[in-house]
Amino acid sequence: MSRCIVSLFTAVVLAGAFGSVASAQPAPAPKSSSKAPATDGQVWGALIYATDDGSAVPDDGTTFPKELSDLEGRLGKVFDHKHFKILGQHTQDILREYESWVVPSRDLFLKVDSNGPAEGGGIHLHLQFWQGEQVLVKSDAVLRAGSPLFIGGPKWRDGQLVFVLALQAEH
Amino acid sequence: MKTPPEDHDLIRWLDGEMNDAERAAFETRLNADSQLKAEAESMQKLGERLRSSLPKDRPMPHADFFNSQIQVRIAQMELDEERSSARASSASWTEWFRLPWLAAAAAVVVAMVAIVSRPDSRVAASDVTQVLSTYAPNPDVVVRGYEDADAHATVLMLDGLPDLPADQKIVGYDVHGSRADKAMASVTLLGSDGQPLVVLAKDSRDQPRVWDLTTRG
Repeated sequence: MSRCIVSLFTAVVLAGAFGSVASAQPAPAPKSSSKAPATDGQVWGALIYATDDGSAVPDDGTTFPKELSDLEGRLGKVFDHKHFKILGQHTQDILREYESWVVPSRDLFLKVDSNGPAEGGGIHLHLQFWQGEQVLVKSDAVLRAGSPLFIGGPKWRDGQLVFVLALQAEH
Repeated sequence: MKTPPEDHDLIRWLDGEMNDAERAAFETRLNADSQLKAEAESMQKLGERLRSSLPKDRPMPHADFFNSQIQVRIAQMELDEERSSARASSASWTEWFRLPWLAAAAAVVVAMVAIVSRPDSRVAASDVTQVLSTYAPNPDVVVRGYEDADAHATVLMLDGLPDLPADQKIVGYDVHGSRADKAMASVTLLGSDGQPLVVLAKDSRDQPRVWDLTTRG
């Protein structure tokens, strides 16, 4: 019974999503009254594979963002591995009134709820770190630009998966 | 029809709040008054039924959220206290600056410190990401949160997680934005040129489900 409900739910969601994709070609002009949702900032989230084997992940040219060009060295100070490969990355606005999702990977991702700007800079966030259908950790944090959050996730192959969340500096 | 004092006595008797003399007097009255006796028996049965149908211990709903909010509040109060004590100490220092010679000396010291110290050589507390609270639903997982000054980062280390199978393929994306569909309660994640990559929606248990559009047929 519950499987039927999930299947039906899946079908409805996918139908809606694909329908919107299919109808993307003759996209009507946006109404002038529609406003983009208010945001409290922008984050960069990445799933990184920390490994000692340099050939474990083929180099696809993915590089760290300019603001975090020294991230590999900083990760090396926390995680005892030689190489840090980006498996996926996601740049996302933090919505003020709605939950935001940072999904650099299907396997490990983050739900982010903004609790507003923090005194002295940064954003108060409620974070939920998900692995598939399981929440691994919930946390309240103040995220500040230039000071990323490293989440040490599960071990994988000869290394470890690390989730990085960084607040982008305001431009 | 019972009078209010009788009603009150009945409740006290049912709750075992009477002393020996009061109980003996009330039970004498109970035996003489069939209507009162029937009322007492009815209430006793009702109480037993309620006790048998309700669990003795009920888990607090949303305990994790409740705990995290308490921890946030405690952290905020500690920060407030720190700030107020810092303000108090800075206020006492400003009294010294009223002395003209000391103000001149202090200005020289401040200038020297500004020249000697590089802007990135020290990290002010307000520049660092702070973890206020953590909660792992899986009791086998231990969360360690700490600031690593060398890395200029804050770490949440999850110990006790089961290893991922070596043959599991980790699917990564390059997401540059999202589009919310409120009607469908879903979010479509977009690639660098705006193409849909992933649809994320929550199921009836409020759990997120990810549909990868890049691997479709």
